[in-house]
Amino acid sequence: MTIRQLAKTSVIGLTSHKSRSLLTILGIVIGITSIILVMSLGQGAKSLILGQIQSIGAKTIAVVPGREPTGPADALATFTDSLKERDLTSLEDKNNVPHASVVMPVVFGSSPATYGSEIYQPTIFGTTSYFSTLYKIEPSEGRIFTDDEVQSYADVAVIGSKVETQLFGNMPAVGEKIKIKGKSFRVIGIIGNAGQVSFLNFDEAVFVPYTTAQAYLFGIKYFNRFAIEADSETTVDQTVEDIKITLRNNHNITDPTKDDFFIQTQAEALQTVGTVLSVLTLFLASVAAISLVVGGIGIMNIMLVSVTERTQEIGLRKALGATEKNILSQFLLEAILLTLAGGIIGILLGASLSFLVSLVLSRAYALNWAFVLPISSIVLGLGVSSGIGLVFGIYPARQAAKKNPIDALRYE
Amino acid sequence: MALIELESLRKVYAIEGVESVALQDISLNIDKGEFVAVMGPSGSGKSTLLHILGFLDLYTSGKYLFDGREMSKYTEEEMAHIRNHKMGFVFQSFNLLARTSVLDNVKLPLLYSSIPENQWQKRALEAIEAVGLTHRLNHQPSQLSGGEKQRAAIARALVCDPQVIFADEPTGNLDSKSGQLVMETIQQLNEKMGHTIVLITHETYTAETAQRVIRLHDGLVQSDEKVVHRRQAKEHFEK
Repeated sequence: MTIRQLAKTSVIGLTSHKSRSLLTILGIVIGITSIILVMSLGQGAKSLILGQIQSIGAKTIAVVPGREPTGPADALATFTDSLKERDLTSLEDKNNVPHASVVMPVVFGSSPATYGSEIYQPTIFGTTSYFSTLYKIEPSEGRIFTDDEVQSYADVAVIGSKVETQLFGNMPAVGEKIKIKGKSFRVIGIIGNAGQVSFLNFDEAVFVPYTTAQAYLFGIKYFNRFAIEADSETTVDQTVEDIKITLRNNHNITDPTKDDFFIQTQAEALQTVGTVLSVLTLFLASVAAISLVVGGIGIMNIMLVSVTERTQEIGLRKALGATEKNILSQFLLEAILLTLAGGIIGILLGASLSFLVSLVLSRAYALNWAFVLPISSIVLGLGVSSGIGLVFGIYPARQAAKKNPIDALRYE
Repeated sequence: MALIELESLRKVYAIEGVESVALQDISLNIDKGEFVAVMGPSGSGKSTLLHILGFLDLYTSGKYLFDGREMSKYTEEEMAHIRNHKMGFVFQSFNLLARTSVLDNVKLPLLYSSIPENQWQKRALEAIEAVGLTHRLNHQPSQLSGGEKQRAAIARALVCDPQVIFADEPTGNLDSKSGQLVMETIQQLNEKMGHTIVLITHETYTAETAQRVIRLHDGLVQSDEKVVHRRQAKEHFEK
């Protein structure tokens, strides 16, 4: 008996009970559909989020004051003033950190901004002109402040689109003066709808030279953060080491565990977020997989009924020369074909649903959501469904094969 | 030469601990090419005997040599192979696969044989022609009369060209006219094609189409004699 003949026999066995076969595989279809949907959407979400993080640049390194938080008991506030002007100068020195193409200091805080009687509370960033290159944002109107303006403590501000509408409504904003903490700033540029980039919402932010922010707004002489860009992705690790050595020198630290700063790279952030998303996807997929077990038991149940119902057929086949192996293969293959068909329908259904969801998300919510159908999910879907047929089909098939031909023939 | 040799064959059923003797002590030989009818009242053990002869059931003690080899020496697979190649079965209740054409029903044993697939069609058509059902090739069993069903079953028994055909009351479910046609077919298989036939029946006139009649009673051979005035199936029913 060849595989082809065996398959033909099994298909005939299944198609003679079409509606029953279809109902039987429903459990498998639902299970595989959910798994494919979860995996496909999970992958889509992952590429969307990782893409956003990556858009800031995998070459970006953040130096944060304080000790790296390892638990809730850590006193984060201890060294928040540890990054000083002197550190900025040292990090900009090519002798210390040769691969740092840009060192951008950042101070930030929140303070009300007013224009006439209008008031709005934006996030205020004190930084250098480099922020627009680093975050890939261009002013829709006006310009970004210059390095000279940073050096000269200029009172100029670049505002986000939401700040603009809240304070100015439809009136022109560039050239007007807004007040923050009693100090006047001339609006020189507007960032139009940049939206959320990574963790910053540019629409709700006001950018000023860091010198001005330190001196007049926050009254501090330290930085909240350095954003440093390595000249290439391969030099990121080297640059991180150089930064550590430079800062430890400046701060007289010999024991690395006593560091009063810590360093975050985009690569780490990518990895962390990626892992979290993968675990989440896996968790959801395993929940969906439970329904497959239920579906498998359904298959076993129906196969057992089918074996009892076809006792006479089994007896006849044996009388005509079928071996136990022939009968076992026939019924096992029927179970596998059933679940495999369920798996294929589930994959098609899951993929279509995921495609629809991605369409809705990208159209209705203007998200840059791509439809992804991971090959691994298809392989998993096909593998798991035929595996279930094998596992839950073997018991009924053995029951069939063990039937005594004469008992089977006599069965009415 | 003996195709079937039985020596003190005994079969005891144990159902829920209660033993019942189906065959007490049967010794007989059936030669190649013989046409033997087995008769006996119900409970005499004739069906049990046929099932054991056809490798469908096992015996308790004694000896059964098929084609010179003892049955107990065969493995499950070998027994399946012999059922397929050397034996043909015709049952009282036809046992055709429902929703399956006559042609495919007849092809069924070929599925389990070592005969190459390109010969299946030819063999099946020849077998169907031999029983005169060529005009019913693509009919399903539900569209056939009782006699036609039994002749389809005979074609199925023939398709692997067996040495012996076991027929268990093949006319039991048929009216006399259909029964006559079926018996004609069986008789022809024996006379023209040389198949050994072992036929179970409780009708004397059916038994007398055979060359030899064995009567069983309570699991023992009561008589075993040649048919002196052998009937032709055709002539009997024409009377």
